[in-house]
Amino acid sequence: MGAAPAEAPVQPDVAAHEREIGNVILDVRNLRTYFFTYDGVVKALDGVSLNVRRGETVGLVGETGCGKSVTAFSITKLIADPPGRIMDGVILYKGANLLWGLDKEAKFKPIPKTNRVKVRRYYHRIKRAQERMNAVRGGGISMIFQEPQSALNPIFAISDQVGEALLLHRGEDIIESILHATPRAPGVEPAIREVVKAARANNSDILAAATEKLAEAANFPSMATQAFYIFRLNWSDPESKVPELRKALDRARLSGLQRSFLHRESKRLGYLRELRAIYLEEMRRGKEQRVARSRVSARSTALALRTLYFSIWGISRNVRRPLNEETFWRTVKLLEGVRIANPVQVARGYPHELSGGMLQRVMIAMALSAEPELLIADEPTTALDVTIQAQILELMRDLKNRIGTAIMLITHDLGVIAEVADRVCVMYAGNIVEVAPVRDLYKHPLHPYSQGLLSSIPRMDQPDKKLESIPGSVPNLIYPPTGCRFHPRCPHAMPICKESRPPMTVEGEGHHVACFLYNGPVWKG
Amino acid sequence: MESDRGQVLLSVRNLRKYFPIRGGLFSSHIGDVRAVDGVSFDIHKGETVGLVGESGCGKTTVGRLLLRLIEPTSGHTFYRPPPEVEERLDSIYDQLGPMNLPDNGGVPKLPPNGPQLLQELDGLASKYSIYRMRGPRLRQIRGKLQIVFQDPFSSLSPRMLVRDIVAEPLEIHHMGTSRTRYQRVAELMQAVGLNPDHLWRFPHEFSGGQRQRIGIARALALRPDFIVLDEPTSALDVSVQAQILNILTKLQKEQDLAYLFISHHLSVVRALSHRVVVMYLGKVVERAPTDTLFDRPMHPYTQALLAAIPIPDPSLNRERILLKGDVPSPAAPPPGCRFHTRCPAVMPVCSKVEPPLIRVQGDHFVACHLFPGTGSGTGSADALASAASPQALASSPAS
Repeated sequence: MGAAPAEAPVQPDVAAHEREIGNVILDVRNLRTYFFTYDGVVKALDGVSLNVRRGETVGLVGETGCGKSVTAFSITKLIADPPGRIMDGVILYKGANLLWGLDKEAKFKPIPKTNRVKVRRYYHRIKRAQERMNAVRGGGISMIFQEPQSALNPIFAISDQVGEALLLHRGEDIIESILHATPRAPGVEPAIREVVKAARANNSDILAAATEKLAEAANFPSMATQAFYIFRLNWSDPESKVPELRKALDRARLSGLQRSFLHRESKRLGYLRELRAIYLEEMRRGKEQRVARSRVSARSTALALRTLYFSIWGISRNVRRPLNEETFWRTVKLLEGVRIANPVQVARGYPHELSGGMLQRVMIAMALSAEPELLIADEPTTALDVTIQAQILELMRDLKNRIGTAIMLITHDLGVIAEVADRVCVMYAGNIVEVAPVRDLYKHPLHPYSQGLLSSIPRMDQPDKKLESIPGSVPNLIYPPTGCRFHPRCPHAMPICKESRPPMTVEGEGHHVACFLYNGPVWKG
Repeated sequence: MESDRGQVLLSVRNLRKYFPIRGGLFSSHIGDVRAVDGVSFDIHKGETVGLVGESGCGKTTVGRLLLRLIEPTSGHTFYRPPPEVEERLDSIYDQLGPMNLPDNGGVPKLPPNGPQLLQELDGLASKYSIYRMRGPRLRQIRGKLQIVFQDPFSSLSPRMLVRDIVAEPLEIHHMGTSRTRYQRVAELMQAVGLNPDHLWRFPHEFSGGQRQRIGIARALALRPDFIVLDEPTSALDVSVQAQILNILTKLQKEQDLAYLFISHHLSVVRALSHRVVVMYLGKVVERAPTDTLFDRPMHPYTQALLAAIPIPDPSLNRERILLKGDVPSPAAPPPGCRFHTRCPAVMPVCSKVEPPLIRVQGDHFVACHLFPGTGSGTGSADALASAASPQALASSPAS
């Protein structure tokens, strides 16, 4: 990647440093998010710094109300505003600051004799910032929410909801693959015969290969999925399915009118792609000033994206039908990718027809539809049973290896973190208190809070272990404790803990802790 | 964990609860959700029985049945049966066999002396079964059997002071005068680790952990000898969970309480229980002393359940057993063994014959065709199945 961000210290080994920076896809520095309520200002995040490297899984762990979810929502800028506001900080996503222009979005005036603060928001600026975010959200960073039951819309079929994400982020691909489809190409008829033969042999491997060949002949990727399912649904009588497949092929063939519509769309998309390339180039340079100068192109990208959205949904039925068909079969393929056994039925179904585990798979499929570089999973398994949780965790591990997506896993379950994460950030009351590679944290937790947390979990493999508990409970964040926020519950509290906030110090390879008990060199990010 | 066990406090026999599904024209009865389908186990004085299983397996329904918060479809829960009655019950259930009560709407197969046995059972039930009690006797029992609910945010009335919440059971049971009542409340608050100053506050002023303590204080008010803990810590954070678990253990030692600890969280169950009952779709699949169950699980479902629990130790490399699919609907449970649709060790017999709960060793019972003698549901299997009686439980070896 380009030059290092301004905040990073200059180090002698520039090449290694650059490599390191290039590897970091998300770098959060000093993030502060406050909520302005009638009781006062809730300081939910108070200077959170963390980073995520390409392809790694970072666990974010802490108790209820410690700011785990607020961190996730701040990174995607989904904080409800009002009452919440990101006050300060830098979120560098691949070198570009997602919080650019933050200080101009609102003004704050304390109300005398109360804890309240009056916030004057400049909505035109906020709106513009949100539009800029749309290019990143879903496409670059996507999110899985805690409760799949409430994250999906009950009145739309699964295929519509996953398909919407696909159309938004993969619209170009979809339109192109439809345009290039020539279903009556010479090789199609023999390929259909091949498929029927494979189906009669009742061998799904041969069938898959044959359907791939058919798709190649038809030059229509989703045809493979479609043919595969048409035949798999009825092993016993493959011949009876041939007319169905022919019909599908015919439907995929475009009329002259449809072709011209789609050509126009693709031209518009070509223009859009150019704009996006410019935008990404600017982002890669990573300089805030540069982004400022390229504001015009960023804005037109957002505008073009919006027109694309409306045009896709608004264009005539002639265009929408092949689009919907292609999207549907792509959805089916995605659902199969998250190991749903009967993807066609699930895609046609509605959220209430599925169990929690299945819904969570649908959510994961949706989040992965645009092949994001960072997936934020906010308590993805908390609402699920243990056996289903094991399935979902296995799926996430598998996806990470297959696609190479970096995952930020938010959970309060230290067991889940131990199974999945590479690195762990422990949060307490809006601060990150310890960052460590996963094995280090479980072997030598340094911060008293991490130690307390680890010794308070009942362990199935060590039944005779005495359960220690951390006295007291999580503090009220309107009046957070001074100094180290953990000091009222800390068994090692010293006078200094009450007075000043401990800096993050380096205590080992990748092991950082914010506690006065340790006096390693101060970590500079 | 414990070798000498106290008197039998509750003896649960063949408990069933079917919730009717109504639909169609005139909302006629079109089926049943078999939430609990023939569950038997004992709870001794001063011991904790863990009840585990996935959501929808009937754990909570069993808890509610034990308190008679809902009436069972059939079956009994005997409260403090004297040893000789307990023995007699065992022999009756032995002779009747495990499938003695109508299942699937069919007529039960009874031995020749069946009618007499049923009559005798009826006589004993009218004396000891909590589902037959009425009036003052029932009222007395209600005070002895208490519950702590899962969600501390919805189980406390937001309009009542903590003092009134904890004193309410005392008032209902006419215990003491108003002054002695509040003395008792202050004692209770201290017992669960709350400050007596907190009495004059409303529930919303407390954190989740503190509210759960209030719930425990309320359950303790009438000096019960049995408390159903229905997932008491699943809404709490781990550090607070440890506080609650420690309080519960302390109270059990002090007051000789028996707990039915309902949870889907097996590590917590291991920390607290003496014996564990594993349920799947309304049936008990395995029942054993805690250490035996966790060290030598026999049923494939228990094994998968244990393997699915994430252990907070990244250096541990465990074999993973991944179950396929979801729990089937209890309204249409699979025929034969209910677990056969997801079982990694499924055999042809599993989809046809329901495996009875048989004794493997000592106090360890399992319902699975994998274990010898449980194959075909013939006479020998019945005999083995009937060994799943508390009589056999009493001769528990040190585990």
